[in-house]
Amino acid sequence: MPMLRVSPRLEISNRLLALTLALGILTGLAVSTAFLLTQGMGFADLASQFIGYTLGDPAGLDQTLTRSIALIMVGLSVAVCLRVKFWNIGVEGQLWAGALAATAVVLYHIGPASLRLETMFVASMLGGGLWCGVCAAAKIYLRANEVITTLLMNYVASMLAQQLLYGIWRNPTDSYPVSQTFPRADRLALLGFGHVHAGIILSIAAALFCWWLCTFSRVGVMAKAVAANPVAARAVGVPVGRVILLMATLAGALSGIAGFGIVAGQEYKLTQFVGNDFIFPSIVVAYLARANPLGVVVASVAIAALYTAGDSLKAFYQLPGATVLAIEAVLLFCVSCFEFLIRYRVAWGR
Amino acid sequence: MGPVSALLTAWVATIPSFAAPFLFATVGLIINERAGVMNLGVEGIMAVAAVVAVMISLSGGDVPLALLGAVGAGLALTVMFAFMAVVLRVDQVLSGLVTFAMGIGVSGFLGDGFQNQPIGGLSALPAGWFGWLPHVLAGVLDQDPLTYASFVAAALVWFVIERTDLGLRLRAVGEDAPAADAAGVSVFWMRIGAVMAGGALCGLAGAHLSLVGSHLWVDDMVAGRGWIAVAMVTLSRWNALRAIAAALLFGAVEALVPQLLSSGLNVPVYLIEMSPYLATLGYLLVAGLFRGGADAQPADLARPYLREERR
Repeated sequence: MPMLRVSPRLEISNRLLALTLALGILTGLAVSTAFLLTQGMGFADLASQFIGYTLGDPAGLDQTLTRSIALIMVGLSVAVCLRVKFWNIGVEGQLWAGALAATAVVLYHIGPASLRLETMFVASMLGGGLWCGVCAAAKIYLRANEVITTLLMNYVASMLAQQLLYGIWRNPTDSYPVSQTFPRADRLALLGFGHVHAGIILSIAAALFCWWLCTFSRVGVMAKAVAANPVAARAVGVPVGRVILLMATLAGALSGIAGFGIVAGQEYKLTQFVGNDFIFPSIVVAYLARANPLGVVVASVAIAALYTAGDSLKAFYQLPGATVLAIEAVLLFCVSCFEFLIRYRVAWGR
Repeated sequence: MGPVSALLTAWVATIPSFAAPFLFATVGLIINERAGVMNLGVEGIMAVAAVVAVMISLSGGDVPLALLGAVGAGLALTVMFAFMAVVLRVDQVLSGLVTFAMGIGVSGFLGDGFQNQPIGGLSALPAGWFGWLPHVLAGVLDQDPLTYASFVAAALVWFVIERTDLGLRLRAVGEDAPAADAAGVSVFWMRIGAVMAGGALCGLAGAHLSLVGSHLWVDDMVAGRGWIAVAMVTLSRWNALRAIAAALLFGAVEALVPQLLSSGLNVPVYLIEMSPYLATLGYLLVAGLFRGGADAQPADLARPYLREERR
């Protein structure tokens, strides 16, 4: 009886990889476009909303770039972890931890006043790094599944934030559940283009650093060995546990910086919504970029543009906000389905 | 009756209905994971099921039809997950996350015109049935049929997994897929079956949220309960009977919060809400510390299987 035979490919060329990625993204976009067309939007409208407004219009570009600042950081966070086959689905918790640490520095005047921003930056890295680092340590030493631990740590951080916002950090002047507004000296500078703040420099610097780390550094080479085959890596003397711990802690620190960027560059205070809706976008960004740090920058701007377009479609066409999430899911679905064709050879036969 | 004991009685009586959605979802995930498939899409599956139950109710359908529709919607989304994770062997974490986002996105889109419109839903059994029992016990037993069903489902699933031939094969696929394959068990079909059965239970969990819990649909209604179920699988050590205890623990804490808020007592509500998460984390760490890694997690969890592939 002839049937579909699936066998793994041994060699996967970069050209095939790029081709299937492009095909996946195109298919995803085509499906999403087809869906939006059925919702009564014209093709020209969609093109102008999605490409014209999000990247061509100053207001749209402002929104896109501002959103991409944090997205690049959390995308890098997931990407760095993927380099050692560590699933970080806790970027929200790490981002909260970073935001809480930075806010604490402001509220309790920690460190010299002239170095307040620098102290906030370091504190946010420590907070985020700790939040992801403990999960990595638990995986390495106690074999705790990191999918579960990073996930749970999201809730711990967000509940801690709510407790503080409804408790001792509540704004004393109007008793809303937000922290005091940060003094001017404790804010990241705006760069003179809408709401885009100095955090974007941090994000790009972080992407360059991660790219260097993954491509050229000793740790990056070891990470490749760990991802390819941890048993073989250990046999040739790679400190597998320490490499995972290092990469995961770095990843947490990156998400922590994202939290610092939001409170110090965007909101100027801690709000209840600082750490919301980052988990899936961070995964999408890292996956579309194939865990390449420079690719993360491109993918983050693209996904941020999708959110900008989603916001304006919501305003003009009453399209529910959750639709953007479905479009992201369709994109990732198509890309991962096409990936099947790279990884396996499919043929009719016996 | 003093205020404290009144609060306690009211609290205890609400625990089972808070625990039921957790229990349905956790038991569904246990079926998945014992067959070696990790489905992180529960949150999304619960959301589409919850919204479809409300849509059917608002369109004039009765409760059985709403339940059927909810399970059908949950299964439809589960088909997508099964296609990715089992047929195409995409990374299971990724497949689950895509399912999650698809479910939240689709439910938000579908439910947009149905938000905040109350439905009749499912009510508790007649209270008179339990009138002869002590007060607290009568309160606990006075639940709706779907809540009862969740506990029956847990016991049933436990029996099938642990005590039947089918369960043995399911566990074999989850523990050592190549060995199961060599013994003549179809890893592919066993996993598809487990994923679909689990998806149906997750659909019931979502239906419980809207038909019994809130009696309406609002965005973000599932509010992380699906993710909690993922963690509860670990807490119940992949055992459907222990899942009852885990669900009651999380249900108890969730039921306590509204009681505390309405009582006006000054307590750290969010720290109390945090406690089950910390407990689960603590449990994971302690289990790792003392069991030396010999844990209950199915050995082939989240590992796709293809006979032709080197492992």
